[in-house]
Amino acid sequence: MSRLALSGTTALILLASSGVSLAQEVLRISSWGGGWRDLIAETIAAKFTENTGAEVEFITGGTIDRLNQAQLAAGAPESDVTFTTAHVGWLYQNSGLFEPLDMSRLSNADKLFDQAKISPGHVGVWSYVYTIVYVPDLVPDVRFDSWADLWSPALAGKIGLSDFDPSSIIAATAKMEGLGIEDWRQATDKLKALKPNVRAYFPSDAASEQLISTGETPVQVMLSMMAHQLRDQGIDLEIVIPKEGAVLNMDAIGIMKGTDKLDLAYAFIDAALDPEVQAKIVAIKKGGATVEGVEVPPEVAALPGVFLTPEQWQSEAIYVDPQLRAEKLTEWRTWFSEEMIAN
Amino acid sequence: MTRSSIFYWFVTPAILLALLYAAALSCILVFSLREHVPGSLVVGGWTVENFSFLLRPLLIAVFSDTALICLLTALATLLVGYPIAYALVRVRSSFLRATILIIAITPMFTGEITRTYSWLLVLGNSGFINAALLQLGLIAEPVQMMFTLPAVVLVLVHFTLPIMVIILATAISQIDPAYTKASESLGAGPLRSFWHVTLPLSAPGLIAGIITCFAWTFSAFATPQLIGGGKVNMIGNVVYQIGISSFNFPLAAVLSLAGVLFTIVLVGLMRFALRPLDHIRVG
Repeated sequence: MSRLALSGTTALILLASSGVSLAQEVLRISSWGGGWRDLIAETIAAKFTENTGAEVEFITGGTIDRLNQAQLAAGAPESDVTFTTAHVGWLYQNSGLFEPLDMSRLSNADKLFDQAKISPGHVGVWSYVYTIVYVPDLVPDVRFDSWADLWSPALAGKIGLSDFDPSSIIAATAKMEGLGIEDWRQATDKLKALKPNVRAYFPSDAASEQLISTGETPVQVMLSMMAHQLRDQGIDLEIVIPKEGAVLNMDAIGIMKGTDKLDLAYAFIDAALDPEVQAKIVAIKKGGATVEGVEVPPEVAALPGVFLTPEQWQSEAIYVDPQLRAEKLTEWRTWFSEEMIAN
Repeated sequence: MTRSSIFYWFVTPAILLALLYAAALSCILVFSLREHVPGSLVVGGWTVENFSFLLRPLLIAVFSDTALICLLTALATLLVGYPIAYALVRVRSSFLRATILIIAITPMFTGEITRTYSWLLVLGNSGFINAALLQLGLIAEPVQMMFTLPAVVLVLVHFTLPIMVIILATAISQIDPAYTKASESLGAGPLRSFWHVTLPLSAPGLIAGIITCFAWTFSAFATPQLIGGGKVNMIGNVVYQIGISSFNFPLAAVLSLAGVLFTIVLVGLMRFALRPLDHIRVG
């Protein structure tokens, strides 16, 4: 009897422990911290946990810090799935850090916009634009219909531009001048002519937010999602989609090479590409979708920078191929530092 | 335990740290000799081409700006820090001494980013100073303080002040007050006593303070980045802008090495230039 009781107890403990290990299965996600982490937790991770029962653990940090960490941990990744920007994703891809994606394992893959199939190792998960944002009270005499309006003498010493990624203003200027992005050097004189209007170059999106909300740089080429967030907080801002289009970027997701949780990683990406999940993301962040079939309230869909179809990408956006951006960034950055910032 | 064995115990951690630092620098040196492959983290073959970037006008301007900012910061910190350090040592009331100490070293307990953001609220167009001046009718338009070299130096002085005060206070506390009393008993006024007795005797503190603040400021990053707004750049900012944020890590390595070397040379030159203060005499 006692032997039977012991066997039964042992069996129960084994069963319970196996159940615990299933329930405690954890997928490690590398992402940005703060609001981005919360966004992923509320939307994609919630859906993933609902679908699989597995939990999510976040490893947060800046884009470049996480890229460096991933490079140092190559082959034995510290995370299973990584969020990054589309062009930085190419650095992961070209450095062999991403697992090639088997699209047949993603039930939502057929809904992806063509442009969101970025590389064999990463796909776009949401889009946003860098565009003209301004404080109407502080520039009452200027109307913005085109990128060319940034060159107005009335804006002398009022504009803030990013110093960490000049690709938006370079792409917009090239488009305005009727050039392809590959011919951007033909637009450098035009870019230099903008210098008298530039008051400051901001080193991060957080600094951009600070400078426009205090009125220090009342006109900026700014991340649309951040501008919407400031507007929601009551700051009087106008977001313009210029007639040439706003500069569209994507954040992306990929599976780290060497992960031992491939099935869960695919399930996580599938949750990210679920149209319902994407609709929640669009509603929260006022960005754009990367899959078809995303439905949001009309007032959200009408907001500037909320692009829900590939047609909108064609008609309202300036799209720079992320691979080209990754390859050109050094050249653009160096030119920008030497000719725009330093002089 | 003999004196020499105690000496080795004390020195060993410093040697280990120095070896670690040398190993890290060696890795950076190796990286600086590799070719950058656009769009990839994987570096290419061996090259010395990266070092030619140091001759570009941008780099020459940034290195000279950095030296100027460090020098101005060190001197301004000395001017502000000396009276505070003197009061800290000589004031009789322990309450007042504690108050001065807390005010002087509090900046050390707030992060660089927090401190710098708070200065944005003070120096900005709608910041505290401009708002007060506009309210008082002293100015009609906001004074442009942000994104200027004086603003960067001002914030860096705030950043380095605790270091200067601690170093100077240590040096001044070593001066026997009897010397001042003796000079006053011989007819010298307080100012003359200070000029001929206290100041010369605190020379070791002056030298240490200037050199430490100079070297300390060299590594400034967030302050010139946020207060300088891209218009005032130091070496750290350029390493970030051209090297790290464009993923050109070999170039970032070159700039970092050049920054370290530049700091060592300048600090050495400053030490040499300040040598006469070592031999200053009371008189």
